[in-house]
Amino acid sequence: MGWYRRFTNMLRPERLSRDIRREMEFHMAERADDLMASGMPEPDARREARRRFGNPSTQQERTRDTDILTWLESLAADVRYAGRALRASPGFAGVAILSLGLGIGANTAIFSLINAVVLRTLPVEHPEELMQVTMGGKEQGTVFTNPLWEAIRDRQDVFSGVFAFSGTEFNLTAGGEVRRASGTWVSGDYFSTLGVRPALGRLVIRADDVHGCPPIAVLGYGFWQSEYGGSRGVVGKTISLDRTAHTIVGVADPSFFGVNVGESAQVYVPLCLRPGLESRSNWYLRVVGRRKPGVTPQQVATRIAAIAPAVYEATVPQRLGVAEKAAYLKNGLNAVAAANGLSPIRRQYQRALMVLMAVVVLVLVVACANVANLLLARAAARGREMAIRLAIGAARRRLVRQLLTESVLLAGLGAIAGIVFARWGTSLLIGLLSRGQLPVSLDVGLDGPVLMFTLGVAMLTGILFGLAPAWRATRIDPQAALKATGRGVAEGHSRFTMGKALVIGQIALSLVLVIGAGLLLGTFRKLVTLDPGFKREGVLIVSVNLQNAGYGPDRYGAVHTDLLGRFRALPGVQVAAASAITPISGSSWNDYIRVDGFTPKSADDALAYFNQVTDGFFAAMGTPLLAGRDFDARDRLGAQPVVIVNETFAKKFFHGANPLGKYYRHVEHDSLGAPIQIVGVVKDAKYKELREETLATAYLPLSQDSVQSAYANYVLRAVGAPSGLAPGVKAMVAEVNRSIALELTPLSDQVDQSLARERLLATLSGFFGALALLLATIGLYGMLSYSVARRRNEIGVRIALGAGRERVMRLVLGEVVRLVIIGVALGTVVAFFSTRVMTSFLFGLSASDPATVIGAAAMLAGVGLAAGALPAWRAARVDPIAALRDE
Amino acid sequence: MSRQRNDILQGTLVLLVLKTLSAQGKMHGYAITAHIQRASADLLRVEEGSLYPALHRMEQDGWLRAEWGVTEKNRQARFYVLTAAGKKQLATEQESWARLTEGVTRVLRYA
Repeated sequence: MGWYRRFTNMLRPERLSRDIRREMEFHMAERADDLMASGMPEPDARREARRRFGNPSTQQERTRDTDILTWLESLAADVRYAGRALRASPGFAGVAILSLGLGIGANTAIFSLINAVVLRTLPVEHPEELMQVTMGGKEQGTVFTNPLWEAIRDRQDVFSGVFAFSGTEFNLTAGGEVRRASGTWVSGDYFSTLGVRPALGRLVIRADDVHGCPPIAVLGYGFWQSEYGGSRGVVGKTISLDRTAHTIVGVADPSFFGVNVGESAQVYVPLCLRPGLESRSNWYLRVVGRRKPGVTPQQVATRIAAIAPAVYEATVPQRLGVAEKAAYLKNGLNAVAAANGLSPIRRQYQRALMVLMAVVVLVLVVACANVANLLLARAAARGREMAIRLAIGAARRRLVRQLLTESVLLAGLGAIAGIVFARWGTSLLIGLLSRGQLPVSLDVGLDGPVLMFTLGVAMLTGILFGLAPAWRATRIDPQAALKATGRGVAEGHSRFTMGKALVIGQIALSLVLVIGAGLLLGTFRKLVTLDPGFKREGVLIVSVNLQNAGYGPDRYGAVHTDLLGRFRALPGVQVAAASAITPISGSSWNDYIRVDGFTPKSADDALAYFNQVTDGFFAAMGTPLLAGRDFDARDRLGAQPVVIVNETFAKKFFHGANPLGKYYRHVEHDSLGAPIQIVGVVKDAKYKELREETLATAYLPLSQDSVQSAYANYVLRAVGAPSGLAPGVKAMVAEVNRSIALELTPLSDQVDQSLARERLLATLSGFFGALALLLATIGLYGMLSYSVARRRNEIGVRIALGAGRERVMRLVLGEVVRLVIIGVALGTVVAFFSTRVMTSFLFGLSASDPATVIGAAAMLAGVGLAAGALPAWRAARVDPIAALRDE
Repeated sequence: MSRQRNDILQGTLVLLVLKTLSAQGKMHGYAITAHIQRASADLLRVEEGSLYPALHRMEQDGWLRAEWGVTEKNRQARFYVLTAAGKKQLATEQESWARLTEGVTRVLRYA
């Protein structure tokens, strides 16, 4: 009732003040009447009536105040008072705000990343209408061939617009070292379906995407700004993409970054310009449509599934075997919501981000426990203040409100600090993410949802850590509190069980975080120190592309042979070789094989991985040749086809028998290729990623390849640091031909990039684990110092009665040991159940790795004892005379 | 001016107003002051400045209900009535007043 009235009063102050004035006027009139009745003349009577009332306008205001403003005013007073109370103890306020700032900041940073990667919808018109066409079934494939895309486009009747696109990279330079721009091949309806508007000029339209279209390009807004300084004269100029001049027709809207979250397309080019569109076995296009109004997502999925047989029937790839064709025709189609965009980084990082979110929530809980503990101690210290306020008539509810205002104010200040930390943290996060194979570009600005999240977290934490201490602080018997002088031993005892519980909880949670961090750090260390079967240091990879360098395709082989010779002659190069694929590069090549005497358990059991290399490749990579020989001049095109296999290949297909001199064949659709003889066995080496079970791998000689490739990856083992070779390499290649495109990457960088997610998790969980540990230590230290200060009298008595210093120290340390043991035991149990969710992130150790758990527990125990040592020492040094005299 | 001050002790005003309204039913503010003064044989005088804030507060607390009406002299006045919550409050306040006076009396007698 009171609330409602205050509220309505606030809305109509005019009427209210009129009411009060009328009421007072009536009172004065009545008074004047009475005075006149007793014989006073009218003017005097009126004056006297008014005088008795005091100043009517202040009076009126006073009355009105109680109605409207008391509430707001008392709130303002609460905030002012809280501010003063915090300023009065800057140490307490500083620690609390810093704890909360770190906790809230960590949460805001991780949440803003999750928001950007997972939650936010695409910045286009009605993103909820967008659906991605997939292959359905178990595999959920999302890429299609161009003939498939055209068949889907021509047969579908559920989308008002549908488009295909594919990410790619363009070389911006006309020759020499490659400069890459991220590009997107887009079909004609890409921009119109998404509803993207041009910032300048025009975008790609349907008429641009026809057979034999002229080369045009649309620039991304960011690229236009960085590359052309936002010059409006850019439309009509040309841009060199893979050494072909494309006419720039326009610039896309600044808010549009493409459909793939985390990637920012710099150039959009019509799909019709892509080479090899007719290929029915080249899968690279993703298909997205906007469903027609009135068609439900379920209907879209059903109708799309219905056209699948016709679509696949019309697009059967050439030269398929019977079984392969049957499998191809069995593929289905499905459509799934695509409002949040598509994202390779989402697939890669979603679970990692969720784990991190859980971690930072725990950190925040530890921080809250810290602040709650500080508030408890503070409440105990303010017991007299509370008692006095209760004694002079303050309502308990009022005091709780006052204390809660204080904690919410703390949380608010913590949130401000947190936003600062978060801004700084997110750019760090993006940096960590960007060290992966995909350059990451995310908008992690403080948008509405992120701010709401931070605000919500701050309010929640303020109430969470403030409520219990406030309740405690005001549950006080004023008489007892005022009578007590602080000499009692038992006094305040019960209050401490809550503080102890908080400290135990902190220790337990920090242990969980430290164990988690230990597991992730252990995983990262295992991967970094793992022997991949090659020596990752000291090798420079030089990727060379002869396309558009003025050579005919029949000359590629000769040019590469010439280049290899020159690389080998370069000063500083120990060994040089060429290969089609370098390890941990993301590229791979596999094929079905047939080996006499080997019966595959399933179709995929006969799958082997391949690479093509020149002689010297194993020497350059540091992979030992275990048996047989390396390739040499004998292995020409037309001679007996030969191969070098790894140990796993030999073990798997030849059951450990000596494979030298034996043969295998490639399965080519329904027939078999020529027998290939094994001439060497090399040590196992990782192929696609460090985590993999070593794959059965065969290395074919580049010299026996009938197709001359424009591309080759040279691996140069350097005498010194691989980067030292770069100038010589560039100069040498330029001398041969200025138009040859090349890219230089140290092998160690390439391997490092594959560990981006592991590095992110290890770095952040390590940081957060340390943070939680620090917060728990502060909590333990604070609680103990306070407890020692409270028990100063008691300790003084003990010492006076002859207790030795060590005994007193043991008294305090015993307390520490008890708290730490309970906390560690609890934490170990919680960790045992919770670290299981991380199993998929771990490598080389289990989720309950004993060494990690014991190490973490020992670390926590050590830190806990260290935190307790200072208060214990202080307790032992209590001067009994001073302590007992002190009232 | 050497007029003896009989200002009502802070806190007892509420008790007096509640009691007055409980005994007299519906009354406006002026009548309440007049009644208290009369009933206390001029020993107590309600200060006008405190009365109206007190009435409004009590109304907010739900002890009183107020409505505009017309007096015999045909003047517009705000009339107050005790609510059920007000009756309960009156009982509490009366009891604590009794305790207070008894306590004070005992102290004066024995201290």
